[in-house]
Amino acid sequence: MRFVDEFRDPELAEVLGRQITSLCEPGRHYKIMEVCGGHTHTIYRYGVQDHLPENIELVHGPGCPVCVIPMGRVDDGIAIAERDGVILTCFGDMMRVPGGRGSFLEANARGADIRMVYSPLDALRIARDNPDREVVFYAIGFETTAPSTALTILRAAKEGIENFSVFCSHVTIIPAIKAILDSPDLRLDAFIGPGHVSTVIGCRPYEWIPRDFGMPLVCAGFEPLDLLQSVYMIMKQFSEGRAEVENQYSRVVAYDGNPVALRVLADVFALRPFFEWRGLGSIAHSALQLSPRYAQYDAELRYELPGVRVADPKACQCGEVLKGVLKPWECKVFGTACTPETPIGTCMVSSEGACAAYYNYGQYAKQRLNLEVLR
Amino acid sequence: MSEPEVGATCSAEDGCITCGDVAVVLTVTSVADADAVCTDEQGRQETVATELVGDVRPGDRLLVHAGVAIERLTAVPTGG
Repeated sequence: MRFVDEFRDPELAEVLGRQITSLCEPGRHYKIMEVCGGHTHTIYRYGVQDHLPENIELVHGPGCPVCVIPMGRVDDGIAIAERDGVILTCFGDMMRVPGGRGSFLEANARGADIRMVYSPLDALRIARDNPDREVVFYAIGFETTAPSTALTILRAAKEGIENFSVFCSHVTIIPAIKAILDSPDLRLDAFIGPGHVSTVIGCRPYEWIPRDFGMPLVCAGFEPLDLLQSVYMIMKQFSEGRAEVENQYSRVVAYDGNPVALRVLADVFALRPFFEWRGLGSIAHSALQLSPRYAQYDAELRYELPGVRVADPKACQCGEVLKGVLKPWECKVFGTACTPETPIGTCMVSSEGACAAYYNYGQYAKQRLNLEVLR
Repeated sequence: MSEPEVGATCSAEDGCITCGDVAVVLTVTSVADADAVCTDEQGRQETVATELVGDVRPGDRLLVHAGVAIERLTAVPTGG
């Protein structure tokens, strides 16, 4: 495929792998966290770890927007959908996320009208086409997705569409990284920064990481060679005694991000004082709510909601997986009670969740490794 | 061709590209107000909101996420 094959060339991957190995300090172990779920998916799908020496460990972070939604907010969505005349809309992966009262798919089986959409603008179109119904968009995602929700609210306001509102669970990446760095049970050496989030926020918001923690961060693209080159750039920083923010994904990411998108986000949203993340607990200023100017589109103000905090299932260790403390296969229920078909934890739902990515691609990598051993 | 069918590129079975923070590179083929009809490498079409990237013209390449262009590309494009 044009423009993509270059970023998947196995020979170049071998060369990069050797260069990375040559930069390793003997006897040192390196832990590098990729924050973004898209990166986790690429790492497992293409076996990126296979090209790295054993002393470089890739640790998977909390950057899957579905995986961090707490069960109580799933129940809030179901409570909205069960109201007469409501159409709830959401992205595809959200349909299977288990809450305290089951998933959206199960709510549909009980008679609710919950529809998958590709864009919040599709939800607005459903509202336009169904003036006698209330249409609610269940908004999730990091700064990559929040601008599309903001733009949809601006269009709803401009068109005077009143039967549309948003249940907002948008989260922001920087406070999550701070929470991970404050976590006492995880020691990291560097970060691979999220590519598409950085398209919006730019690279500047990460500068405190090298400054205050002495760790390199490299914003990376989503092809296997993007990730290998990012690891190479991190190792180069270590070998030269530097700790900086660098931008590997410069073909897409501007260092200052997208200023128009940032202005729209600041207009439509306000920071929540606190927000509960599954596995990470309550994190200050880590999520968005609608600003008072757009309160009429806020589903949390429009509807009475349970708003109850629901504890995660005891057997589920998503919290440890999201913080990178546990590998997916180290969870007690991984691949047995918890599978993509019947997920107990959120990390097994989205294909970007660390558990689902490993479940889908991990066995393949293991078999390939066995074949290489046999040769 | 009009906009893709609602939910056509978002599946509960195969994984949701929006949840996965995936953005795709599309090329503008025509413009109407704040929307642009764009095509991908395989010729599939999609209507994209362009308010966040300013005025666009046919031939411009856009990085698109959830039906909204979040960046305009000037260098070598790729998916991801």
